[in-house]
Amino acid sequence: MSSIHPDQTTAQRLAGVVKTPGMQPIPPGSGDGTLIDTPGVRAPLVLNNRTFTEVTDIICGYTENAAPRWWLPMFGFAATVAGIGGLFILYLVITGIGTWGLNNQVDWAWDITNFVFWIGIGHAGTLISAILCLLKQKWRTAVNRAAEAMTIFAVICAATFPGIHIGRQWMAWFLFPIPNSNAIWPNFRSPLLWDVFAVSTYGTVSLLFWYMGMIPDFATLRDRADERLRRLGQGGPTILPFIPVRIDAVRVFAYGLLAMGWRNSGRHWHRYEAAYLILAGISTPLVLSVHSIVSFDFATSILPGWHTTIFPPYFVAGAIFGGFAMVLLLLIPSRELFPNMKDFITLRHLENMAKIILATGMMVGFAYSMEFFIAWYGGNYYEVAVFINRAFGPYWWAYWAMISCNVLSPQVFWNKAMRQSPIVIFIVSFLVTIGMWFERFVIIVSSLHRAFLPGEWHMFHPTAVDIMIFVGSCGVFLTLFLLFLRFLPVFAMAELKAVLPQASPHPHHDEPHGHGD
Amino acid sequence: MSNHDQCPSTLKGEKKRPGKAELAAVARSAGTVNGMNVWRSPEEMTDAPQFRDWLEREFPAGASELERRDTGESRRDFLKIMGASIALAGAATIPGCRRPEHKILPYSREVPEEIIPGKPLFYATSFPRPDGGAEGLLIETHEGRPTKIEGNPIHPTNRGRCTTWALASILGLYDPERPKDPIYNNPVKGKVTASWADFRTWASTHFGKYSENGGEGLAFLVSKQAGIARDAARDAIKRQWPNARWVPYRGFDNESAAAGLAMAFGRPVREVFNFGKDTTRVVVSLDRDFLSHEPGEVINARGFSASRQVITTSDPMSRLYVIETGFGVTGAQADHRLRLSPSRVTAFAVGLAKFILPKLGDANGATLAAAIDAVGGDDAGIDRGFLEECAKDLLLPENRGKSVICVGQSQPAAVHALAAAMNAALGNIGNSVFYTDLPADEAVSSRDGIRQLAADMDAGRVTTLVVAGVNPVFDAPADVNFLEAYGKVAATICLNANLTETAAISTWSLPGAHYLESWGDARSVDGTLSPVQPMIAPLYAGAMSEIELLAAIRQFAQPESRVDGFELVLDAWRAGVASGAIPGSSNFDKFWRRALHDGFVAGTTIAPSAGRTGVRFDEVARAAASLAISAAPSADKLDLVFRIGHIGDGGMANYPWLQELPEAGTRTVWDNPILLSPKTAKALGVTPEGYSDKKPEGVYTDPTYPTARMAEIRVGERLVKGPVWILPGMADDTAILTVGYGRRNGGVVCDGVGFDVYPLLTSDMAAASAAGATLAKAAGTYMIASTQNHWTMDNRESIVRAVDLAVWKKYGDEIVPGGPSLYQEPEMLKLGERLGELAHTPPNDSIYKNPYNKSIREAEPESVFAKGPQWAMTIDQQVCTGCGACTIACQSENNIPVVGKIETAKGREMTWIRVDRYFTGDDINEPAAMLHQPVACVHCENAPCETVCPVNATVHGPEGLNYMTYNRCIGTRYCANNCPYKVRRYNFFDYGVTKFNGPYYGKDIIEAVTPARGGITGSSTHNEVNPNLIPPRLRAKLEEITRMRKNPDVTVRSRGVMEKCSYCVQRINAAKIETKLSKLDHIPDGYFESACQQACPSNAITFGDMLDPSSKVTAMRDHARSYLLLGYLNTRPRTSHMVRVMNPNPALLNLTAAGKARVESWAHPFHGGGHGGHEGDAHDRTGGGHAFRIDNTKKAQDKGYAMSLTVLGGGSMA
Repeated sequence: MSSIHPDQTTAQRLAGVVKTPGMQPIPPGSGDGTLIDTPGVRAPLVLNNRTFTEVTDIICGYTENAAPRWWLPMFGFAATVAGIGGLFILYLVITGIGTWGLNNQVDWAWDITNFVFWIGIGHAGTLISAILCLLKQKWRTAVNRAAEAMTIFAVICAATFPGIHIGRQWMAWFLFPIPNSNAIWPNFRSPLLWDVFAVSTYGTVSLLFWYMGMIPDFATLRDRADERLRRLGQGGPTILPFIPVRIDAVRVFAYGLLAMGWRNSGRHWHRYEAAYLILAGISTPLVLSVHSIVSFDFATSILPGWHTTIFPPYFVAGAIFGGFAMVLLLLIPSRELFPNMKDFITLRHLENMAKIILATGMMVGFAYSMEFFIAWYGGNYYEVAVFINRAFGPYWWAYWAMISCNVLSPQVFWNKAMRQSPIVIFIVSFLVTIGMWFERFVIIVSSLHRAFLPGEWHMFHPTAVDIMIFVGSCGVFLTLFLLFLRFLPVFAMAELKAVLPQASPHPHHDEPHGHGD
Repeated sequence: MSNHDQCPSTLKGEKKRPGKAELAAVARSAGTVNGMNVWRSPEEMTDAPQFRDWLEREFPAGASELERRDTGESRRDFLKIMGASIALAGAATIPGCRRPEHKILPYSREVPEEIIPGKPLFYATSFPRPDGGAEGLLIETHEGRPTKIEGNPIHPTNRGRCTTWALASILGLYDPERPKDPIYNNPVKGKVTASWADFRTWASTHFGKYSENGGEGLAFLVSKQAGIARDAARDAIKRQWPNARWVPYRGFDNESAAAGLAMAFGRPVREVFNFGKDTTRVVVSLDRDFLSHEPGEVINARGFSASRQVITTSDPMSRLYVIETGFGVTGAQADHRLRLSPSRVTAFAVGLAKFILPKLGDANGATLAAAIDAVGGDDAGIDRGFLEECAKDLLLPENRGKSVICVGQSQPAAVHALAAAMNAALGNIGNSVFYTDLPADEAVSSRDGIRQLAADMDAGRVTTLVVAGVNPVFDAPADVNFLEAYGKVAATICLNANLTETAAISTWSLPGAHYLESWGDARSVDGTLSPVQPMIAPLYAGAMSEIELLAAIRQFAQPESRVDGFELVLDAWRAGVASGAIPGSSNFDKFWRRALHDGFVAGTTIAPSAGRTGVRFDEVARAAASLAISAAPSADKLDLVFRIGHIGDGGMANYPWLQELPEAGTRTVWDNPILLSPKTAKALGVTPEGYSDKKPEGVYTDPTYPTARMAEIRVGERLVKGPVWILPGMADDTAILTVGYGRRNGGVVCDGVGFDVYPLLTSDMAAASAAGATLAKAAGTYMIASTQNHWTMDNRESIVRAVDLAVWKKYGDEIVPGGPSLYQEPEMLKLGERLGELAHTPPNDSIYKNPYNKSIREAEPESVFAKGPQWAMTIDQQVCTGCGACTIACQSENNIPVVGKIETAKGREMTWIRVDRYFTGDDINEPAAMLHQPVACVHCENAPCETVCPVNATVHGPEGLNYMTYNRCIGTRYCANNCPYKVRRYNFFDYGVTKFNGPYYGKDIIEAVTPARGGITGSSTHNEVNPNLIPPRLRAKLEEITRMRKNPDVTVRSRGVMEKCSYCVQRINAAKIETKLSKLDHIPDGYFESACQQACPSNAITFGDMLDPSSKVTAMRDHARSYLLLGYLNTRPRTSHMVRVMNPNPALLNLTAAGKARVESWAHPFHGGGHGGHEGDAHDRTGGGHAFRIDNTKKAQDKGYAMSLTVLGGGSMA
């Protein structure tokens, strides 16, 4: 009779310590040890046999310890890029939309491309936190916090573009159903208005979900700071040498405020679990609805290349595809740069996500081919012409960039070694991110630039303002993510502890393979 | 002598005037110009007392205003003038301090007792065209401020229509750079702003000295105008100074036509066409673009369109053969077109004469034919079959007397004479064409005149030159060397309403009065005499018209009272009536008031039968026999053709509307590239960047901006450098050069725009063409801006639908039930719709019921759309020539800004109605046809723009209009994306209120740090910096004076706002108010017109209430040729387009395989897979609608289309 959980057995075997008779150590060579394919062995979700305390110490350490050496220069760079982008936005607002490369034929280009790109990025976070939560996918706990954070930041970037892309930015409030002296309501038939509602709902719910999940962790950070203050009296490092305010005092105040009086009581946990589940339930349809509604911007129009009924599922699949790529793009460097992060984000996590990328990549590939088929099958000349033009017209390079990045590059994940190699996953994720940007560019610009009447056909050429505002939005995204890594709990500590082997001791197990009992 | 101006309106505050001593000191001390000692006389050099005396006389103390005035015209000044204008009695008064008060009578249905603020008044006047003739106009004035030019509905020439030039001429009035004060080119101080008093002082002494010698040494270089008052002024000058030289001059004159017709008739005559349904059956144009930019264009367009438009299937239709060098708007109308270099056109003309004349059974003709029998030249490049079939068509008995052979400027005089002889022999004269006497001043050869004058000037025989209304320094023939000769004239006086190169270097530059602020008269080509009456007092006090200056100069010799234009005209007309030259009544006052009110003198229009007859066949034979036809051009010996574009000979270059109006064929704006055929350009290595034969549109898609290569074009020693652009359908080995561009001192709009090609024009050229030119690639490239970046319809034949007359006759009356039902009821398809997608579209049953009118054709009885008026428009593509008058009229009516060259190249032009141009055929070098399609907002009943606007800024009105609410619009641009017609225009910048060009704040700083760039006009003179990078808030605002032109009934749009055609909603509302006040229950059909409809010289646009069964628009909308552009989208446009019908000659078609196929296709003209039997090549039906290249994907697509229709059950469709 052993009180050792089979997971712990695996952990011991991985560590080369075999306490259970008959067990052999698992030989090295299986990656980091989480990529076990043996059905009888449950791969651990956290490596190195971490204890509860270690988990807390590691995760809190990211915010409590001194910043890694790379952090400040990187933050400075990202913030500078964001600031420059902001200046270009200022210039745009002062000067006019004409500073972009748009014309009377192509009235949307990078602005809406960026909007759809960022809103698509935001999909992985909620998918991981809500749908995987409901499906009891335990591996999500290691990545959900970061993915949710990424969602919030992507929505912030995305929401910028509809705001600045309009001609009279100071009139953006016309988009909201605010009673006004003209007694004119917004046009509820317009998909742009649906966007306003969909994106703001999505942003609000995602923020709530993210924030609520962090409350216990804020409380932990608060308590640890408070404890240090008590232990050290008035000692401890100050914010700056000449500002006599203890950092821990600030932490106590800030995290205390954010923790909303969390006392770790059973009643709190009970409420918390229920609320979390409810929010997951609310978020799940949102994952599907937001990008469906964004796709209505195009699907409800009459423009060939836009007027397509497959857009909603196609956009959702593409968003998940692009979102996972972005999660990987952020987490792979993070786990290299932060100490012990590989214990939580294991190769198995990466492989799982690579598999999702492979699956969704093929979904979008299918969508691309269906567009062509329907154009031909529909027999509408204008429709056919748009798709032929997409692939062989002046923007052929954008189309084939999209195809090679989105459809071809994920195919390497059929190879197990490839989807287990962080560097390959990183490269593919990078390509997918580029490809997904091009997908939106192709849909928007290649459909617009040659619509019905050839007399008005014009090309679109981006200007520096187009480019710098997009680059700036990447800077904003990176800046916010770096702040997140430094100041917020990057992992859900309580949830991670729940997937540790010791969290679920099974006192009646004799057999190491006793899953079925 | 007191020269103090007592008029408060011209006194602009206290001026600091230099004293006598001060002046003299300045004169003595500053006697260097450009580092050289300058003196006017030895006395000056020695500072003799006589000189001081002279100087004192010249600039008396207190009379000079040497200080430069503040050049801005303030709003206060304007209002002061306008306030006076309103105060000074009633509807129509010309205010002015020096001038007597004269009444001008308003043209309106009832003379209002007083001005109603906000309600415009209309006055008749006429526009003396710069190329001769005149147009009868109505000017819309708001509180005394002219804002819009319209054709005079009762004027026999215009009949309510007018041309781009007349429409844009209002810009000359409000040109902010107009000379405002006389400028004296002081030999000592350089240019100084003077006053009129200074000029009078100077002139009274100056001209006095010519009294003794009868004006020897005095010369007048004046515009070629044909008015009674001008003639009187000339006669008076000649009486006073019999020895003075009088040189009427025009920059780019139609010399060869004048010479040729003078040859044929023995007197100077003008050719006037009498096109019409009954008078015209065959027209042969030998490189004559008679539908655009010539004095009779409005008459020609009206008559020619009447001869073309088929309403019933039994209507006759004229046939047009065009033999031309490059596509003009006339070539676009051609039923058969041959591209030939000018020397080949000459050969063609001779060949035609040789063929026709002997077969007429006419002795004269036979003699002439015999005389030219020896005239040879090779027949290279001439399609003999074309020539013979064309000739046979002319010879058909039913066509005799109903044909016209007309010849363009590129042809020498003998060809013009030959054509007149052929017209005479065919019996056309007096029927389809007639010849009227040219007024004396118009008959003079500009070229000979200026050559002689320049020689005299060069030899020192001219001591004083008065230049009025012309700009010879810019446009005189190059070999005359006018500029050099001009410098040798002691005193030059130049009067111009706008800036000119000539004024810039004259001793005196005088501000001229615009025709809208002066009195005068003018004659149209058909002889109609029209008064020119001012709409407003000269904006800049003292500005004189040409006749006023001439009269004033005469008076300076014998100082008397000031001469007034009104009195001059009145005197001339009194004399004219007395002598019988004007058919007036005995009651002159009544006659005069009538003429002013109507805008013309009844009975002055010449009937065709009253024209000149009697062609001197012997003279023609002599001239034609000596005709030397040069050999066909080759790549190293190009033929050159000079022609005018939208800005005329350059005099209208400072009118931005015209600069931004796309040229026919190329659709380029703001430029005059050298045009070559693609083949020639390729042979010479000067194709635009990105060009390849397989992908001709690459010139627009490959580079960021369309980029031309530079080339040098050389004729003998003369050289011009310019960019080369390609024009499909041009004659090979021929270059077309457009004159008038490359102005150097014409104003900020035109300076440095394009390239001056006048250096290639010489006074010895037989016609506006030259042979033996060479073109060599030069270093550098050049940006070209074009409003249309695609040449073909890209296989989309249903966009511009065109059929041949045989098809129209056979199927025009046929109505077949269509399979699809857009409106949930069986659709009955007429010809127009059978040609397009609607005949193939599967049923489009909607589950959505439109709450207003449901998804049925007729509006629900209780809905707002069931009540009239419901506005609709039709555009007849059969008669649309693509002249652009609609575009300019719309721009004028709706305050549409111009955006400049770079913005146009980016695709941001703002015009609400555009004219799309498509070439058809499989070969870019030789397209089958050029089609024009005007597109404006079609006011869809199911408007795609309306549903997508998030803020309800574009909504549907109860009268079927698609409203655009500017102050609600935030500029998401979704509406423009969803508009299938792409007619929405976005204010990317503050185009409406800032200058598109010109100065901006901080210019000095920015230019110092920014490398020179082409700028908005491609000019090196202005805008070194890309103005798009200058925030609009830093750009200079529009001058007050420019804003005076704006229509106060239409909002000026701010940046970030979408705009589009409103169907002239302001006119609709004004009409509604008027009918309500008149207690009418509805707006009668034709009560008002939209601006585009009103301008269209060929009556292609109809607008009205489609619920009124008697309205013209209802008839046109229900017409068999009517179709809805992209109607299969179920947008249900309120504007319908009408099928273009072409009238090819079957005999000529049968000469070629393609032609034969076209004839065969008449049996089954409806294409598409649904008809079986011809799926693969079913689209090859008529001349209309092919791509340039053999598109490899095309056949596959068509098969796919056919297959899909089969799948969808389309095979059973009609």
